[in-house]
Amino acid sequence: MLLQKTLTKSNKTDLYLDLAELTSGLLLVGFLWTHMLFVATILISQDMFNSLSEFLDKYYLSYVGIPFIVVVALFHFVIAGRRIPTRMQEQRIVWQHAKMLHHTDTWTWVFQTITGMAILVLAGIHVWMVTTGWPIRAVNSAHRMESFWWFYLVLLIVGEYHAGFGIYRQFVKWGWFPRKPIGYVTKAITAIILVLGLAAMFVFVQLGGAL
Amino acid sequence: MADRELTFEVFRFNPQKPEIQPYLQTYKLNETTGMTIFIALNRIREEQDPSLMFDFVCRAAICGSCAMIINGRPRLACKTLTNTLPNKIKLFPLPVFKLIGDLSVDTGTWFRHMSLKTESWVHTSKTFDPKAQEERMDNETANKIYEAERCIECGCCIAGCATANIRDEFLGAAGINRVARFMLDPRDERTPAEYFEVVGSEEGAFGCMGLMACDDNCPMELPLQMQLAFVRRKIAAIGLGYKPKKGIKLA
Ligand code: HEM
Ligand code: SF4
Ligand code: SF4
Ligand code: FES
Repeated sequence: MLLQKTLTKSNKTDLYLDLAELTSGLLLVGFLWTHMLFVATILISQDMFNSLSEFLDKYYLSYVGIPFIVVVALFHFVIAGRRIPTRMQEQRIVWQHAKMLHHTDTWTWVFQTITGMAILVLAGIHVWMVTTGWPIRAVNSAHRMESFWWFYLVLLIVGEYHAGFGIYRQFVKWGWFPRKPIGYVTKAITAIILVLGLAAMFVFVQLGGAL
Repeated sequence: MADRELTFEVFRFNPQKPEIQPYLQTYKLNETTGMTIFIALNRIREEQDPSLMFDFVCRAAICGSCAMIINGRPRLACKTLTNTLPNKIKLFPLPVFKLIGDLSVDTGTWFRHMSLKTESWVHTSKTFDPKAQEERMDNETANKIYEAERCIECGCCIAGCATANIRDEFLGAAGINRVARFMLDPRDERTPAEYFEVVGSEEGAFGCMGLMACDDNCPMELPLQMQLAFVRRKIAAIGLGYKPKKGIKLA
């Protein structure tokens, strides 16, 4: 035993960190999937999209929700980010290990950390663009989407990947359900959300072009 | 399948002779019926190169000493048939464990450290009476304990685990499975708080990132995901309800 380790022995810190990781992950995935369903209301009609957005504004849900999610995301970045191998040698070990093992779940974890860091940057830009172009209305979104569709395409794929495999991993770690079915279910949901997202993007870009 | 010529690329390094850099040595061998990596390695050592180092004892997937990286995956040499592999077979020693030389590693020290750290013995206040009849245990409990006991300490789950590869102190699936085994055992009188002390940290239950390389590579097919998750849930529940004693402060 070493003095510095004996005196700082964690007690319950690691437990709280793990629970914080679980909670922040679940909240973010819940948010992202809801968000994509909201965006997909454009597939029904512009009015539908606008009235949903107005409804969220009217009851201050946007004004509470957006800062809340930003805080949760930053929190998640710090908590889940503690697992990122940050030292150069750890990086080299992990890459070498993943290449050697030819193992799906190990590779998906490597991409989990990469997509996570990408989201930090991309989602930051996205939130900034939306809040400075307030309010959210079909017309505004269509303009953004038409000019920056490539940006949104990347964010959509990266975000869905991270959320889909992230929630799969949480279920695997906590073992509430067997592993295989959970894999199918999370992949199916991710596929549905991706299709909805792509369809919504397509409609927005068309709309932007027609304006 | 018959008459295949197999090409083995084998990791060679002897820590006793650090002046010779690690290198891959190629051996060629004709495949025979029912050949395992264990048989192939023995033939190479007998017929081609007596200096090749590797471990085995039981050649029947019982002792756990022949685990190595076979074409990228941690597996038992004695349980891996060459006819399940392509013509080219790459062999490396297991990572994480101390390298003895070539394909041979010291898993014993690691597992002993793990056993001590998890206090792998039944903690009981009863004194053993050799004349008394053995205490009874219901079949279901006995089977659950047996499921965890089947671990042969081969180290495949540790070598395959990215976390164990970068975090020296991580107990890995074998260690957490070991704790599960004692948690299930009604004879063990350890309190929940004592179990929390053993695995309630990132060196134990909360260090696992859920990569499942252990679950996918255990040659004994232990239900490692379920064991890891069982301990994680149990330890989290204990932790939420228990007050550790206040420590002293340096400053
Ligand atoms: C702010 C940028 C983000 C970063 C840097 C980040 C980083 C990470 C990292 C490194 C992990 C792996 C943790 C581990 O293996 O234990 C992870 C897991 C996860 N992430 Fe993110 N992430 C970010 C944003 C998000 C967002 C927006 C969502 C929701 C859509 C999300 C959902 C998840 C989930 C559910 C997990 C699994 C957590 C677990 O295993 O307990 N993350 N993230
Ligand atoms: S599930 Fe946990 S113990 Fe198993 S390989 Fe992954 S990180 Fe390691
Ligand atoms: S749990 Fe499986 S892979 Fe791990 S040491 Fe035991 S037998 Fe080997
Ligand atoms: S030699 Fe004993 S397990 Fe392979």
